[in-house]
Amino acid sequence: MKSTMTIISRRELVGKIGMGATLAAAATAVPGQAKAAIAQRPVHYAMVIDARKCTGCHACSVACKTEFEVPLGVHRSWVEYVEKGTYPNVSRSFLPRLCNQCSEPQCVSVCPTGATYKRKEDGIVVVDSDICIGCKYCMLACPYDVRFINPTTGTADKCDFCLHRVSKGLQPSCVNTCQGRARIFGDLNDPNSEVAKLVATEPVTVLRQEMGTKPNVFYIGADHADENDLRVPGQYVRVDTHRPALERR
Amino acid sequence: MQELNWGLPVIGYLFLAGVGAGAYTVSASVLLRGGGGGFAHDHFNIARYGALLAPIPLIAGTGMIIFELGTFQASLAQGDVGLFFRWINLFLTINMSPMSLGSWVLAVCIIASVVYAYTFLTKDSAVGDDMTKLRRGLAWVGVPLGISVAVYTGILLGAMPARPFWNSPILALLFLISALSTGVAGILLLRALFDKHDKVPDAQALDSGQSTSRATYLLASSDVLLIGLEILAIFLFFMFAKLTIGNVSEAIAVILPGGALSTMFWGGVVVLGLLIPVLVELRYVIPTLLHHQPYVMPRGIEMAVCTIILLGGFMLRYVVVVAGQVTGPMGI
Repeated sequence: MKSTMTIISRRELVGKIGMGATLAAAATAVPGQAKAAIAQRPVHYAMVIDARKCTGCHACSVACKTEFEVPLGVHRSWVEYVEKGTYPNVSRSFLPRLCNQCSEPQCVSVCPTGATYKRKEDGIVVVDSDICIGCKYCMLACPYDVRFINPTTGTADKCDFCLHRVSKGLQPSCVNTCQGRARIFGDLNDPNSEVAKLVATEPVTVLRQEMGTKPNVFYIGADHADENDLRVPGQYVRVDTHRPALERR
Repeated sequence: MQELNWGLPVIGYLFLAGVGAGAYTVSASVLLRGGGGGFAHDHFNIARYGALLAPIPLIAGTGMIIFELGTFQASLAQGDVGLFFRWINLFLTINMSPMSLGSWVLAVCIIASVVYAYTFLTKDSAVGDDMTKLRRGLAWVGVPLGISVAVYTGILLGAMPARPFWNSPILALLFLISALSTGVAGILLLRALFDKHDKVPDAQALDSGQSTSRATYLLASSDVLLIGLEILAIFLFFMFAKLTIGNVSEAIAVILPGGALSTMFWGGVVVLGLLIPVLVELRYVIPTLLHHQPYVMPRGIEMAVCTIILLGGFMLRYVVVVAGQVTGPMGI
């Protein structure tokens, strides 16, 4: 009995190996099927923000506001202005901000109701406004200060990479509207996507890497200067956030 | 200055939950300690004050945090009853979030403390009455429950790397010690306010060594020890933050001389809330401790000391909660 079972399992094993080989052969032969095989993998949405192309026009901020009817005084996405240097050696750059959709989201691990969670299928961190009680724990846990209480629902709210658009194959609203093509959105798991290529080939950085959150919003040419750099002798740094809390957190 | 996400309701809650949890733990410990001879009655009397006190701040504090919920505020603005009771969602699930675990522990602690208080409410409640079994059972439950509630308030704040001021393991210990100390102060204050016996400890009671003042000696001397430990915990909290570099070191600057909360921390928490009470208590405890003289603390001084200990406990929560929110990680 025992030996029969062994034989069967060995047969199955051989069969599986054969099937695998056939599939692999088919995949290499027919590009369409290879694409289908890639689609089987979980999607890993990410954004690359090329700060060198950002002109600080706030089109993304406005598009985001209209897309979600975000109430006055709170923001899902915004642009910070970074000024530094002393004349004549000065620079002004722009830092578009949004939820980083972290791979290790601290907001998720502190949520007491499970209202906020990271979607397994695409890695987007979402808030279920029917469950959230508005305890603000996630707002304190987020190192990027991207969360806020939506005054109309009383629950936590933040950028969700335009899940309603992305799930229909559209680009997020801010990416769609960006006139300098500074925001690039795509699937990091697809090696042929623009984001995957940019992350692989450009010197990308993330915000507050030391927090260990593994952000999925990558920056090219971002100026990470802030008020702490004022300690450099002769250095002038000013960061404008255009948010009610004018200071960056 | 950045806006505070957690304001006065949370500060008040952390303080009141600490007092309630501390009073429950202390009351249960004193009851279980019992003591032979005449001590059992004295200890029972002290335990009774703690038991009757504990549920009040626990329930008041818990009621308070509901005001801080975004859904509660929206429900007031919109008159939506569904949003009003949204906090029920806390009890439809349990996960490893400190707030989720804390809500459950707090709920169990409130129920246990209410029943525990009830066992002391019968007219002729005394050592060895019908309720003894239930009362002692709830006391055994109360010690770990009270400690859990007090510790969780520290873990709640300490769990976030994004808040470097709070992100210290010592914070939970500091809140636990402060909870026990303010719990003792609450019990002593209640006794000083309401105990009709020994307004002036009479000679007979002192000679027999069985007056309630012997039992309050137990609490006052424990309080000296607790405040000593609290000063140690604050020292460790402060030194380890100061000796590091980066986020934590930057954050602790807010309570250093020149920081926004420096005066309140050093003047209010350390001097008024810890040093003055511990020195006054030592003044009355040392003669008993070293020379076996009867323990007598004038009622007015007892009330004043307990009041400033409670005030110090509140200011500790105030400074910690505010300091954690006005500081953050450096750089971007």
